[in-house]
Amino acid sequence: MNIKIGNKIIDPTKIICLGRNYIDHAKEMKVQVPKNPVFFVKTVNTLVTNGNPIIYPKILYNNQEYNQVDHEVELAFVVSQTCKNIQAEYAYNYIEGYTVFLDITARKMQISDRNVNLPWYRSKNFDSFGPIGPRIAPYSEIEDPHNLNIQLKINGELRQQSNTKHMLFKIPKILAYLSKFITLVSGDIVATGTPSGVASIQPGDIIEASIDQIGAIIHKVILEE
Amino acid sequence: MKLGDQEISPTKIICIGTNYMDHIEETKLDVPKEPVLFPKTLNCLISNKEPIIYPKFLYNQRKYNRVDYEVELAFIIKDKCKYIPKNEAYNHILGYTVFNDITARKMQAKDILSKLPWFRSKSFDTFGPIGPKIVNTEEIKNPHNLRIELKLNGEIKQSSNTKHLLFKVPELLEYISTFFTLEPGDIVATGTPSGIGPIQPGDIIEATIEKIGTLTNKVVMEGE
Repeated sequence: MNIKIGNKIIDPTKIICLGRNYIDHAKEMKVQVPKNPVFFVKTVNTLVTNGNPIIYPKILYNNQEYNQVDHEVELAFVVSQTCKNIQAEYAYNYIEGYTVFLDITARKMQISDRNVNLPWYRSKNFDSFGPIGPRIAPYSEIEDPHNLNIQLKINGELRQQSNTKHMLFKIPKILAYLSKFITLVSGDIVATGTPSGVASIQPGDIIEASIDQIGAIIHKVILEE
Repeated sequence: MKLGDQEISPTKIICIGTNYMDHIEETKLDVPKEPVLFPKTLNCLISNKEPIIYPKFLYNQRKYNRVDYEVELAFIIKDKCKYIPKNEAYNHILGYTVFNDITARKMQAKDILSKLPWFRSKSFDTFGPIGPKIVNTEEIKNPHNLRIELKLNGEIKQSSNTKHLLFKVPELLEYISTFFTLEPGDIVATGTPSGIGPIQPGDIIEATIEKIGTLTNKVVMEGE
């Protein structure tokens, strides 16, 4: 599925996300700090580009059991070419560039599914639950992806603020580990996890997520009609 | 990707867990109130006669060295759709095929126990054989009365009928499409009956569904 991010068109076949990759976020969620990267999938129906609305699903909004939807700002990288079993030292040869990703999550649904040992899939994959952009900063422009300020504001108020240096597993290790399991292809998106400060969003909110040297994405939350 | 003489371009694979009453009874799991959904990524797809690669990484570790077959009826989406009422479901289905949801069982069990996602155990390359062809909805008017079986090296291991599906195809499409927009070519695998078990390098797996055909894949060790 083609998607235009800034002036680049990519054709991702999958979006792989890391859970619990900032120690401060693992602590706030009261989950263990993992020994290996924790991966889950978002499907490409979630993707929306800068400026497009995040749709708050009615079936969540109208159900007290499920009416919490959270923001999670993340640094994502885009894969440049087919890769499998990549060694960490060569990882950057397979990276097209970096972008800002929002892992929107139906939190109560995720927790209720997790508590009964069900997959995390549905809570993460509503349409528009994966805002991305505003551009793909080329790999060559960003000397060190592990020293970038990352932040998220809601209606102008700061909610998440950290630096990618606090990532538990760094990008080369993530790509080495992930490519042991699956073949990645050009355009695939890997989101590297969120820092602490996740909180809920409401219809009408304006979300502004930014990372140094990449830029900011701005999305309005609207209730599904 | 080519399935028989039709080409499809899926954007996602959605699988249903615990959806056969015989499988639920066998495993003593609770009967789910809603369909249980999980994804497989597209890198797992292979077609009829292509090998299933047994990852060395699993084979060489005692805590992970079990990989299972699971034969399933899959349906393919015809057009872009969202919020499909079940009485209109068949209008949005292109046809049916056989799917084998290959699963790194010990890894999955361990991840489930730790309340982690099911992703990695389900999505190794080649862990999603599909085919041999797509049979359209005019040829199969009732997908809920088809014999489904799996043979391992000629021996029957799974044998059931799609009439034992807990959530039927129309209900599944209605449920799934309340969450996600589906695209033409997207694949929905409807769950496996009882009798799942392990595979080994060298095994020949034949997965058959009445009126569709047989999907045959050999298991080979990675790197060999």
